Amino acid sequence: MSRLTDIPIRIEGPAIAGGPPGGPRSDPAPSPGLDFGVSSSGVSAILTELARLLDQLAEKDMPAAIDLRSLPLSSQDRIELERALGNGEVEASVNADGISTLRETRFCGVWWVAHRDAQGDLIAELLEVTRVPELLACSADEIAAAAHTLRERLSVAARPC
Amino acid sequence: MSQGKSELTVGEMLLQHGISRRRFIKFCTATASALALPPWMGPAMAEQLRNSPRPSVIYLSFQECTGCVESLTRSFAPTIENLIFNFISLDYDDTLMAAAGEAAETARAKAMKDHFGKYVLLVDGSVPTGAGGAYCTSGGRSAEDTLREAAKGAAAIVCVGTCSSFGGIPFADPNPTGAWPVSAIVGDKPIINVSGCPPMPEVITGTLLQFVTTGQVPDLDEHRRPKVFFGNTIHDRCYRRPFYDQGKFAKTFDDEGARNGWCLYELGCKGPTTYNSCATIKWNGGTSFPIESGHGCIGCSEPGFWDKGSFYSPLSSAAWGKAGEVAPRQVLELTAGAAAVGVALGVASAGVSRLRQRHREQRTDNETKGS
Repeated sequence: MSRLTDIPIRIEGPAIAGGPPGGPRSDPAPSPGLDFGVSSSGVSAILTELARLLDQLAEKDMPAAIDLRSLPLSSQDRIELERALGNGEVEASVNADGISTLRETRFCGVWWVAHRDAQGDLIAELLEVTRVPELLACSADEIAAAAHTLRERLSVAARPC
Repeated sequence: MSQGKSELTVGEMLLQHGISRRRFIKFCTATASALALPPWMGPAMAEQLRNSPRPSVIYLSFQECTGCVESLTRSFAPTIENLIFNFISLDYDDTLMAAAGEAAETARAKAMKDHFGKYVLLVDGSVPTGAGGAYCTSGGRSAEDTLREAAKGAAAIVCVGTCSSFGGIPFADPNPTGAWPVSAIVGDKPIINVSGCPPMPEVITGTLLQFVTTGQVPDLDEHRRPKVFFGNTIHDRCYRRPFYDQGKFAKTFDDEGARNGWCLYELGCKGPTTYNSCATIKWNGGTSFPIESGHGCIGCSEPGFWDKGSFYSPLSSAAWGKAGEVAPRQVLELTAGAAAVGVALGVASAGVSRLRQRHREQRTDNETKGS
């Protein structure tokens, strides 16, 4: 080693401001061998399934989801799962008959999605494995309709009084 | 895209009502979750339905008590209102529609003609064939004739309830009206049986939604029931199962066992031989189901349940049969050892329970005679 930059660096713990180029993710992925701290076999099974679905997404561009409400998760399981998945860089909320929150986890492509109704009650909760959840994207016909509407309003605004 | 000038797609109709694509996706996702359907069905359902016109649905009621329609109107996911207004075009239902008499029959004839080969036919009630079909007539025609005619143009037939699926109460011994299930009358159309007395509301609407979304008959069991809803026994999913495994049974409806929520096997519960979703989806928007309310399952989604003996006698040892034969799906999920223990326990429990019950009845008789 002849230069300072040749010295190997290993980052442990929470993200540090001004870190490596490109910026760390809010919760960096654990280094190989770093314990998730997962003791529940149910949570381990979910994480294993997520890994498989991520491979599927990467290789075949095929999205998938795990319905958390169909699984017998205890409150401790949920805490472990949330800790294991952590937070990514994106958090969004959609106001459609109640608030739906879509939070990217520390694993790119895994989104924790919670749908609530107008009364605030949880009606569905999923782990979506996808590039972007369908709920966030706009469809082609909606974009075309928006362009048409905007042009109409511009033409109305441009008319002399 | 629209199929015709006068035929809006579901998506176009929803937009007209101010329901955005995102609201619809969220609704379909929540519906798929509530119905315990695979997660991918939510977005798939939304995409398919948005681009399709609402399918025509014709609902015929024959020899029935109207309990199945009552159940359907109590569905929480999707609600009947959502179903009718957003997903299907309910072109005929003599209980729910405003029209009556000739106007109603004309509407039905027109729907059958306009959508020949494409409409979904829902049927509740059994079909009596005795006395030339005179036991159930409407508009001067027997139920059998009406069914045969309607079945000709149906894409599929969904039998709502145990009566249309298996004959139900009218079919019970001695079957005075010569009642038969739909499958005994119609043999050349896909038939889906949504059995139950009544069937669970979300199972009715979920099955219908699944069919209109995919256009395909779902995986069915040997009784033509959707496996997604009838794939497990009540016993498989009962929250009181640990008490069964520990041999803790309520002996009367008001003893310590009953108060502690122990297994109701000895009080006649038919959960081990009944396939349905009551223990998972539950009734009244997930409030409860019979066992949770303290009464054993009566097996109402099974063929011939009215003729299988008392609801309050434990399952007979004959019902368990040889090791592994009675509930083959259950056995496949257990290890061989656990299965053998389970069956042995069942046989032993059946014998002991019946003996115990006979002693109780004898004591009651003696006390009555002595008083």
